[in-house]
Amino acid sequence: MKRLTGAGPGRWLAVVVLIVVAGFPVYWMLNTALATREELFSGQSLWPRVDRIVSVFDVFDSDVPLMRWLTNSAIVASGTTFFSLALAVLAGYGLSRYRRFHGRGLVGFALFATQMLPEALLIVPLYTLFVSLGLINGLFGLVLADTAFAMPVAAWIIKSAVDGVPYEIEEAARVDGAPRFVIFSQVTLPLVAPSVAAAAVITFFDGWNEYLFASTFIRDSTKWPASKGLSSFIGEFITPLSTVFSAALVFTVPAIVFFLLVQRRIVSGLTSGSVKG
Amino acid sequence: MSTRSRLAPYLFVGGAAVYLLVFTATPLLRGVLLSFTDTKLLNPDGGEYVGLDNYHDLLVDDRFASSVLTTILYTACTVAGALLLGTAAAFAINDGFRGRAVVRAILTMPWAVPSIAVVLVFTWIFNVGDGVANRGLAGLGIGEQGWLIDPDLGLLSVTAVSVWKVFPFIMLVVLAALQSVPAELRESARVDGADRFTALKEIVLPHIAPTLRIVALLMTIWSLRRFEIIYLLTGGGPVDATNTLVINVYREAFANSDLGRASALGMLGLCLSLVVTVVYFVVERRSARREEL
Repeated sequence: MKRLTGAGPGRWLAVVVLIVVAGFPVYWMLNTALATREELFSGQSLWPRVDRIVSVFDVFDSDVPLMRWLTNSAIVASGTTFFSLALAVLAGYGLSRYRRFHGRGLVGFALFATQMLPEALLIVPLYTLFVSLGLINGLFGLVLADTAFAMPVAAWIIKSAVDGVPYEIEEAARVDGAPRFVIFSQVTLPLVAPSVAAAAVITFFDGWNEYLFASTFIRDSTKWPASKGLSSFIGEFITPLSTVFSAALVFTVPAIVFFLLVQRRIVSGLTSGSVKG
Repeated sequence: MSTRSRLAPYLFVGGAAVYLLVFTATPLLRGVLLSFTDTKLLNPDGGEYVGLDNYHDLLVDDRFASSVLTTILYTACTVAGALLLGTAAAFAINDGFRGRAVVRAILTMPWAVPSIAVVLVFTWIFNVGDGVANRGLAGLGIGEQGWLIDPDLGLLSVTAVSVWKVFPFIMLVVLAALQSVPAELRESARVDGADRFTALKEIVLPHIAPTLRIVALLMTIWSLRRFEIIYLLTGGGPVDATNTLVINVYREAFANSDLGRASALGMLGLCLSLVVTVVYFVVERRSARREEL
């Protein structure tokens, strides 16, 4: 491998500029979380008061019911992950291993088509559906709505992972007379476990981040997930900004950590799975 | 083939198919039906069939035309900006160097930050009096800008935030494609005396072109439907400057209570995504055929 030192100062400059562009807003969240109101409005320093870093956690003692919001988000996200994976693991395997059955093309198309559907268009029909099912104003309704958008992405990632497992591996078990479902769960599934984990992260944070359904389906503020809760700070000038951004940081950091862990598999799953039908 | 093995694919795929039927296809169909009625939010079961009236009203409405234009402008600029920045970033960190993993992690961060946190921090950065964007400009001797409240700047600011949020995805995808360019190919180009630019144009670009096409498609359809970042930053304003079709759908349904018109709007927006997707598959098929020849 070539060392960057041979690539000239132009490249270093580009890397530095990119780091500043990508990192600055996240850095600014931290900086703002650590500043007092007076410091913010008398010209915010570019350098954060890192000595106050533990004060980020003061947000849990503030008037903001962050713990409740995060619990609600975690419930929605876990539920979305559970349903999405249960459906997507099976569907991904089926679409990869069975090339010819009625409706295969239709299911494939439907999975892709969800990427085009604006949530805003589905909100009203889903709302009336959930009213009739008694699911409005509840976290379970959110789980069901979020799963509809998260599951196809998971199915895509898992299908492309199964595509990458040589069929001969299953063939051997088949000769031994193992039934298909056993082969699927004992042989293939363990082999694609890293991609399933990546899909789990994607679906979890789909539920964790989702805002539109949360803000329309949930009326009680005690049931708000954190996305909706945090949005209530926009245009509101009573809560100190350091509290707002401490809450935003606590909400954001888990997402960053988990995405960084699994980013590669998400990327290869999304792109290869969609081109090679 | 036994009956059991013929049933197998349906058992695997069936759950997901039924789920999509209930929670996606059926609501979508209801949306289609709503678009032919004059249903109001306050009386969701009381709508009358009005035929194509909603569509007709939209097509002769200047505000709709400007919303379509805004959507196309926003999408084109976001996709182009993200492709440029993402590809440039991928090239910048393609070769190994010390600290590369850390750099890649930092450049990936924007993609992972939840939209709502993105909106909170950019609202503060773009704050007119005390935001760091204007303070930076002041340092350069440039006057205050109303990033999110000036009708001439709103779309630009929202696009910039969107590009910031999505470019890492393109970077990661292009990076993966670049890493799969066979070393022998580059080597042979070098031996043949090709300069960097020629090698890039003749070898690297053709190799990553299919990846760039699929990622451009995904970026486009995601941008056409992007809601949270735009809605929470500007609510479609200032003065409709960022009033894309999905924002428009939401406003018609929840501010104007006009479900029929909102659904018709949504359908027309969906058509835009469908057109883009069809174009993509036609291009893909053509290039596949060219490769066969």
